[in-house]
Amino acid sequence: MAKIIGCIGTSHVPTIALAYDRGRQEDPAWKPLFDGYKPVAQWLKDKKADVLVFIYNDHATTFFFDLYPTFALGVGERFPIADEGAGLRNLPHIKGDVDFQAHIAESLVNDEFDLTIFQNKPIDHGCASPLPLLWDHEPDWPGSVVPITVNVLQYPLPTPRRCYKLGKALRRAIESYPKDLNVVVVGTGGLSHQIHGERTGFNNEAWDLEFLELLQHNPEKLMEMTHADYVRLGGAESVEQIMWLAMRGAMPDTIRKVHQNYYLATTTAMTVVLFEGDDVAEPATTATAATTA
Amino acid sequence: MNPQLNGIETIEGTYAFDIRTCNRTLNANRFFWNMIRADWRERYLADPEAVMTEAGLNDTEKELVRKEDWLGLVKHGVNFFVLEKFARVARKTNLEVYAIMRGESFEDFMKTRRVPDAR
Repeated sequence: MAKIIGCIGTSHVPTIALAYDRGRQEDPAWKPLFDGYKPVAQWLKDKKADVLVFIYNDHATTFFFDLYPTFALGVGERFPIADEGAGLRNLPHIKGDVDFQAHIAESLVNDEFDLTIFQNKPIDHGCASPLPLLWDHEPDWPGSVVPITVNVLQYPLPTPRRCYKLGKALRRAIESYPKDLNVVVVGTGGLSHQIHGERTGFNNEAWDLEFLELLQHNPEKLMEMTHADYVRLGGAESVEQIMWLAMRGAMPDTIRKVHQNYYLATTTAMTVVLFEGDDVAEPATTATAATTA
Repeated sequence: MNPQLNGIETIEGTYAFDIRTCNRTLNANRFFWNMIRADWRERYLADPEAVMTEAGLNDTEKELVRKEDWLGLVKHGVNFFVLEKFARVARKTNLEVYAIMRGESFEDFMKTRRVPDAR
């Protein structure tokens, strides 16, 4: 049976992809970011994660606003990484497991999450920016991705509570798959940032840290907030943090933080957090349990 | 009215992109979205006026594009995430576009950041 072995919340800033492709891993301005992902990448390797269920948003690349799905799931053995205006990146196409993706779709739709299915489409930085920081890709990715997009661009967006419920349904979908797979749910976006209008450059570190606390211990409070609340507290584009609620919904009520890295360099509070559920035995050693902030 | 957006109009310098806006500006948004296609980029760079006309931009929109008026385009109802594709074609980084939207020089803007060297 497939099981969820943990979840990861991560930013998906396109600049991460740019810095990665330019080999800035040791650049003093970028090192704190890249180093912050290393314990997560090691954990994924140690735990032999087979699948990453990626809850991310398309940035009007795969889909245009003439047909923009609220929730969509990708099915395919391969997904090219999208050209977003600057050409193609030197990364292998993202791998998929069609049988597992189809099972997730069947389970979600039968569970009243009537999402859109996409196939044979490129995937943008919403997924592809953090992916190479989590998984090695030479010569190829070590596992498959289930891409799930959420509309966080064009209002009305799904409510925060709806996203959490998607996570609940996702857990039922994953746990009803008969094959043994180690699955990690990844929620992407945030944290605080605004990148349009005169308010561009807005950040709120106090709110970011409160968000992370609430996410772990009191997600109900995050579900009671409106989109306007997220915009006010974290900047307009931080509303995408509702996708972290989908990730949270897939986890048990009690979760423990294994690792956190928070790095606000220019305009987005670039964050990665790794949680394990209390249904997974605590590791004997806490070598990777360092929390840096 | 979308209850999730109650009070958003009181947040300064912020322009919520919704269905009504997008319905009014779909052509302009599509024009920028097409910048993900290499052939569209090449055609635009070779003859910007012809491609803007083909995309159905009105005179106001054409002028905003000619001037690379990033803030004006956002206020007009263009979604930032299609605009950033155009920024690549206009050879501007996102950080440069952010500075312009704030009405600051790039160097002044970077001084307001915690790690001004992270570019």
